[in-house]
Amino acid sequence: MTTAPSKKCQALFKSAWHSNRLAATGAAVLLVLAAVAVLAPWLAPYDPLAVNLPEALLAPSPAHWLGTDQLGRDVLSRLIFGSRISLLIGFIAVGVAVVVGTVVGLLAGYAGGRLDAILMRVVDTMLAFPSIFLLLAVIAILEPNIYNIMAVIGLTSWMGVARLVRAEILSLKEREFVLAARALGASPLRLMARHLLPNAMGPVLVAATLGVGGAILTESVLSYLGLGVQPPTPSWGNILNEGRVALGVAWWLTLSPGLCILVTVLAFNLLGEGIRDGLARR
Amino acid sequence: MTGYLLRRLAGLVPVLLGITLISFSVMKLAPGEPTDASLQFNPKASLEARERMEKLLGLDQPLHRQYLRWLGRVARMDFDRSFRDGRLVTEHVLERLPVTVTINVAALFLVFGIAVPLGVFAAVRPGGAFDRLTTVLVFIGYSAPGFWLALLAIAWFGVTLHWFPVSGLHSIDAETMGLLRRGLDVAWHLILPVGVMTFVGLAGLSRYARSGMMEVLRQDYIRTARAKGLPERRVLFRHGLGNALLPIITILGLSLPDLIAGSVVMETVFSIPGMGRLFYDAVMARDQNVVMALVTIGALLTLLGNLLADLAYAYADPRIRVGSAR
Repeated sequence: MTTAPSKKCQALFKSAWHSNRLAATGAAVLLVLAAVAVLAPWLAPYDPLAVNLPEALLAPSPAHWLGTDQLGRDVLSRLIFGSRISLLIGFIAVGVAVVVGTVVGLLAGYAGGRLDAILMRVVDTMLAFPSIFLLLAVIAILEPNIYNIMAVIGLTSWMGVARLVRAEILSLKEREFVLAARALGASPLRLMARHLLPNAMGPVLVAATLGVGGAILTESVLSYLGLGVQPPTPSWGNILNEGRVALGVAWWLTLSPGLCILVTVLAFNLLGEGIRDGLARR
Repeated sequence: MTGYLLRRLAGLVPVLLGITLISFSVMKLAPGEPTDASLQFNPKASLEARERMEKLLGLDQPLHRQYLRWLGRVARMDFDRSFRDGRLVTEHVLERLPVTVTINVAALFLVFGIAVPLGVFAAVRPGGAFDRLTTVLVFIGYSAPGFWLALLAIAWFGVTLHWFPVSGLHSIDAETMGLLRRGLDVAWHLILPVGVMTFVGLAGLSRYARSGMMEVLRQDYIRTARAKGLPERRVLFRHGLGNALLPIITILGLSLPDLIAGSVVMETVFSIPGMGRLFYDAVMARDQNVVMALVTIGALLTLLGNLLADLAYAYADPRIRVGSAR
């Protein structure tokens, strides 16, 4: 704790804490969560897949902090490993959405004219589908596995990013530094990559942070409906789904995974709002 | 106004085509042909029989012909028959529609009736105790999975306390009840689902109401109203809310897709036989005609909601009306 970098870290955290407590709390929660996901094999007290029927549906106790499920598996261990799946799906899905949305928004905003009109009609069309309908219909056809889920969540949630990037590009395009770069003979590619995109990414960062929370929620809905991550792989959504059957006798199977989702999504939302405030103040 | 309406409607045409194109592609993406459902379990069905059937259904035509043919039927709201029981898809939908509409309208009224006052009172003193409390509730409402809240409500109010029934729409002895008691019975069954949907919906709307109200309260005419000594209640609700309400109303039109999505989840959790449950069952049974009908109808309803929101806004805001007259 006495080395220079950790002091720097402390100072950074302190200034973040003073400027926005809620956002700093969100960031801290997410750091802890990321650590849990990475260190899962060392943190989990039991094997998350180990079936132990004599110990099924035990209430929370010192041996099993969060109890056991119908198959006698330790709920805490399953939640710890489930954090990996949920976070992974959240980040990759948003990554897909950000890449697609940025490319579409950049092209539409920069090219303008007919291409802009066509791309924006595509965005309008995609926005018209209630996303859960499209998600369920496509995943049921493709069969649910985590790659399909990440891809489909990403491909049904890029429209917001596209609109944000387009709006940013439209206003940046006329700014003096961009005009100057163009007058100096910068190629369109260089203009986009060096001048336009870097300056348009602020709102995207906010949307992406909020989006990870949204994608985790979507995954939990899909898994709850049986079209998400398939058992026995634990995800927070399918632990909830398995707990539903025993709702009357084993409430801990329903309470704990839901709380995990709530806290995680809340942390992403707080952090996202914090970044938004920070950018607005700049 | 008419010009604005016409332009808005013309703008919808490509989107409508896009919606049908995507729906059709998803339908074609599905493995297997519609003929499988009726022929695959029939060992007597010969290859010729299958070909005759394909010809009958137009499946021997090139894809674009099939699309145009399907489009023609969709334009007449004809979505063919369910693979599962051979009944017309529209019959299925019309049968389920009233339940879903009832639940959503009830939840919408409650959300609106609760969220707007919440937002107004939070906006009066931003950063005050009431504002902080509602902010916390709003963030929780945003972040909690709706189906999880529903499960907790079932576990607590249904299973533990036995206050409310936890699934379906009717008690077992509903058949023997009179009309009035039967209606009350249904309402009784709807308390939990509508309650949970209301809580989930509160988050977004009260946030909008709060920020809209804060914006309005900053205006000069509010200061004028206060300066001339109007009672605070009149300032807030007549001068303030009157002007803040408009953007909130348009939010209602935009929240249609969320309502539809919420129905899928809530109706599944509470086993309510509505459109959402119909969609879920159809997805699980790979009943493509029903799935595509509902996807298309859902998208059309969303467009309609957006259009109504825009029109309401244009109708009430002279700047847009006059601007479009040029």
